[in-house]
Order: sequence, then structure tokens, then C-alpha cells
Amino acid sequence: MMDFKIDTNFYTVSQVRHLTEHAFVVQVPRRNFKFTAGQHLVLGMKDDYHTREYSIYSGENEEVLEVLVKEVEEGYLSPRLKQVKEGDSLEIHGPFGHFGIEEKKRDTHKHVFIASGSGIAPFRSMVKTYPELDYQLIHGVRTIDEGYERENYSTDRYVLCTSRDDNGDFKGRVTAYLHEQEFDKNTQFYLCGNSQMIFDVLELLKNKGFGRDSVSAEVYF
Amino acid sequence: MKRVSFKTLGCRLNQYETDSMVSEFHKAGYEIVDFGQPADICVVNTCTVTNQSDHKSRNIISQAASKNPGAMVVVTGCMADNYKQELESRDKVTYVVDNSRKASILPLIAAHNTGEILHPDQLPQNVFDYGAVSKSLHTRSAIKIQDGCDNFCTFCIIPKVRGRAVSRPIDEILNNVKQTLENGFKEIVVTGVNIGRYNYEGLTFIDVVKQILAIPGDFRVRISSLEPDGFSSDFFDLFEHPKLAPHLHLCLQSGSEKTLLQMRRMYNLDQYQEMVRQLRNKYPNFNISTDIIVGFPDESEEDFQHTLDAVASAQFSHVHTFKYSVRKGTRAERMENQIPEPIKTIRSEQVRLLSEENRLNYMRTFIGKEQRVLIEKVREDFVEGYGEHYLPVQIANSQLKKNTFVLVKITGITGEGEKLMMIGEPI
Repeated sequence: MMDFKIDTNFYTVSQVRHLTEHAFVVQVPRRNFKFTAGQHLVLGMKDDYHTREYSIYSGENEEVLEVLVKEVEEGYLSPRLKQVKEGDSLEIHGPFGHFGIEEKKRDTHKHVFIASGSGIAPFRSMVKTYPELDYQLIHGVRTIDEGYERENYSTDRYVLCTSRDDNGDFKGRVTAYLHEQEFDKNTQFYLCGNSQMIFDVLELLKNKGFGRDSVSAEVYF
Repeated sequence: MKRVSFKTLGCRLNQYETDSMVSEFHKAGYEIVDFGQPADICVVNTCTVTNQSDHKSRNIISQAASKNPGAMVVVTGCMADNYKQELESRDKVTYVVDNSRKASILPLIAAHNTGEILHPDQLPQNVFDYGAVSKSLHTRSAIKIQDGCDNFCTFCIIPKVRGRAVSRPIDEILNNVKQTLENGFKEIVVTGVNIGRYNYEGLTFIDVVKQILAIPGDFRVRISSLEPDGFSSDFFDLFEHPKLAPHLHLCLQSGSEKTLLQMRRMYNLDQYQEMVRQLRNKYPNFNISTDIIVGFPDESEEDFQHTLDAVASAQFSHVHTFKYSVRKGTRAERMENQIPEPIKTIRSEQVRLLSEENRLNYMRTFIGKEQRVLIEKVREDFVEGYGEHYLPVQIANSQLKKNTFVLVKITGITGEGEKLMMIGEPI
């Protein structure tokens, strides 16, 4: 008898939400894909060697699995993903990574999420997964339209820092905003975004007395 | 009797997998010959971690084919995964077998010899189906406990060619260790791609090492290359056990915080240095060696100076220095500010010189102290082996036998550069 195996790594796109000219959310049914909020997956087009890592944008218990993609205009995969339509097939592997909220600190600590650009993705997953979480989300972008789906966060917990736009909650980079803030000692910081932002924020937090035990970081580029 | 030769490139894990294959072929009645001797079958276990590894692997494959006209040439290892189509299109390569099917090369060849031609993709996939090593040119045998990596460091191709992290069942590991010891090995090396992340049914890396150490017998355990993340004080306590060698190869890669972030490493310099401090506070002579990548994209002179400072401060006994090389499909391939090769060469040389100075200073601290040496090579007038700290020792006595332990007092140092060696006198 022929021995064959069904490849379970292929997922059919159920929705694509275009948030800005260059940012969009790709959604597939979650099926049996189990993950912890903060983890990432590896995504590729069917029959294409090229893959990329994306943080998971949706919550652990949602019926869908989503990633937030920022198009890199000279890039290989993201412009192709932008053309993806409902019914197309994608290859997904994972979950991977150790970025996430420490279970023992979830209810005892304040959580400050600091993101640049599409680095907001793992934090949306955390907020969707833990609706009771005591968090503040500081999101650094260039213009207000990059405050991706900010209606997902209550206004008293979300701070949009816009470096090239006066219409955010704070005009300037996240580092400038953080510089002015005071934080409780039992605050846990989570950083996700480009390496320069993370480098600068780590220095800033160190100067405020928060060492690496109080900080988790996931580097994007 | 069919003659088979093997050539291994790259890491200790590859070496273990070759050693295991050698043992299986030997048991199956094949004659094992040195690579370069005429053979009917040549197995090349390749590496693809750098451009240089690719280059060497290609050269070896060409040599295997040109020196053995008509021989079966089997290419496996990480390059076989990374350049599968290219290798399959080569006329002189008989089979290209990916890493996950490497353990089935013997049945593939046995089938071929009886006229049954299988496509390697028909072979079963099992990254742990390796028996204990019985025949090897080495006196220490690796034990594979884990394969693959989920860290996705931006420079590294390994997650693509070795796949995601998987851990070997503990019973298989312990059986493998017991069998290896029964086969006469006195030293085993716990190995894998990212062994610190071992996780099998709730058991951690620390649990595995503890269970291996609890096996009775006069043998020594080493831990191979380790990623410096996520270790508790329990881990440091392991080294109180007399069977566990006081040496770790802790991969630092860079001393620059900025570069470590760009590499997407799982630790920062402070955390790394804290591990070194804890180990040396608890065990003053503890041997720490490392890997350093020089010329990573955007690495400035200041970043590189941080690396030199870190190397000097940690007093590594050995630094394995790699010049960064672009790996297709990795994030670093797409980074800006790639560093020119001449600058990488200069930086690599600076690290090498500093490393040699460190090594000499470290060896000097052993003069007058004892080492328990496992004899590896017997020459006409002397023997050579490694002490528990993984430093080479030469002993002026040819009566000592290979694969035996001898307690010596270190009296001096001989050689220079990479060939530094301690001199020991049996006690």
C-alpha cells in the first residue's frame, strides 16, 4: 500500500487587510497551530525557497492566524506577499522564539511594550491573548497612519509617538518620550523593532535603573 | 569486499554522524579506507556554514570523483541541503542525501549494490537514527542529543539546513552513551546544534547531563559548543561533578552590544560576562573558549575594539575566528554596509594574535598543577593527549598506551602559536 503524508504546512489565505500603502495583514485559519503570544513564524510563498520570519499578530485563542507585513520596496518576499489574495496558498512553519510575557510576572508586574513600526505585532498578540493585562504600549512611527489598527488598544494604554507628524500623542521618537517618563520598580519592559531603537532604549532604561532582567527584546530590522 | 572512504567537513556533530556511519559500514562488512586511498564508495559529509566551507566541500567532492573514477560518490551534510539541485546536476555525484536522511546512507548503498536504485528522498527521515560509535580515529566520541535551531541569528544558515530544534529521547541518549562506553571510549562529548535548548518531555539540558554523569564507570564528559543563554546557577553546579570536564566553548560572536543585537543573539555582553564571572569565581582555572565573527555588516572600528576588549577581558584559551561570509537566505545577506574582505582579514589576524597571547598566559597558570590526561597519540619518544581542561599535553614516555588516563604534573610549555602544548610528567 502506498505510504503518503499530507503536508500540513500549507495554509489558505482567508483575508488580506491593507492598512496603509505599504503595510498589510495576512490572515489564514489557525487550524491546530499552537503558539505563545510573542512568538514568530516562518512564512513563504508556495514552492518558493525564500522565507521570512514574522511575529504573530493575532491572539493565541483566535480562530485565525495573522501576521503584519511591512513592504520592503526593494525586498523579495514582502512585495510578493502584498499581491496575495484570498484562496492563495502559503507555507508556514513554527512557532519559533522565546519572546513573550513571563507567566510568573503576568499578574504581578506592569508591562511596558515599546515598538517601532511593524514591531507592534507581538504586542497586539499579547493584548488580544491577555485582555486583563496591565500594560502600556508605546509605538514609534513616522506618521499617524502607521499607528496600525490602534483601535485595538484602549486610548489610556496606547501612546503613538510620531517623528514626522504632529497628529500623534507625542511628537518625536519613542526614546524622547521615554526619557520624560518615570516607571514603577516592578515594571517589565518588552522591546520590538529595529536594532538601533532597541539599542537606544536599552541604554535609556539602564540609566533609569532597569537592567536586562527587566527587559526582553525582539529585534526587527 | 567493497572499500569505502569518508571525509567530514565542519562541526563536531558532522564528525559524530560520520563516525557513526563508519561504525555501521564496518559492522556491515565494508572495508574502511582513508580518504585519498582508492575506494569504491566515497562519502563526503559537507559543511556550508561559511563561503570557505562551501569552497572546501566542493573541492573535496571533486577530489573524491577525480581520484576514484567509477566510484560511487555520495554527498551529504549541510551543503547537500543548501545546494541540493546544483549537486544533483553534477555528473560525478551519484547521490545527494540531505541531513535528515543521512543515517540511511548504508541501506541506500546496499540497495545500489544489489541493483536497486532508490532516490534518496525515499529514505526515512530520522536525525537521531545513529548507533553508538565503535570504530573511529578519535579517542573521544560525541553523543548527539539534539538537532536543529530555532534562534534565527541573522548571519546563520543552520536553521535552514538542519531544520527546527528537536531533542533526542533521553532513553536513546543514555543507551547511546552506555554502548559507546562499552565500545571502549573514555571520553564523550555531548553535542548537537543548540544543546542548551534541549527539551524532551519536560527534561532540560541540565537533566540530560546529570543523567549521563550518573552512569557508572571511569569516563569523562565534555560539553561541546554552547549558546550562552538561559542558564541558572544549577548549570554551574554541574561542574562540581568530577566526571564533567571544566571547559565550555561559549559562543560570544561579538563584544559589541550593537552588533550582538544586529546578529539577533539571545544575550548581551553583560550577561555573557556574568556567566564567565560566575564560572571563574566558582572554578578559578575554568577553561572558556569561544567563536568570534569579524566583519559582520556595519561593524565599525569601535564595535571591533569592543570585541578585542571582550576577548582580552574573558581570557579565552582559544578563539575560533570566522570572517563573516554572506549566506544566501539569511537576514544579514540583506543588510547594508557589508565589510570589505581586506578589513575582515586584518581584524581576524588581530583576534588571532590576541587569542594566542591569552592561550599562552592561560597555559602558564597550569605549571606545577596536575592534569589527568587521556592519551590520544603515541609517537616514538612521547605521547600526546588532552587534560580535563581541554589543553594539549605532551609526555616524554612512549610506554603509555592510547586511550588510557594518566595523571601528570605540568612542568612547562612547548611550541608556539596554534601549536602550543603543555609538557607533563607522570606522577
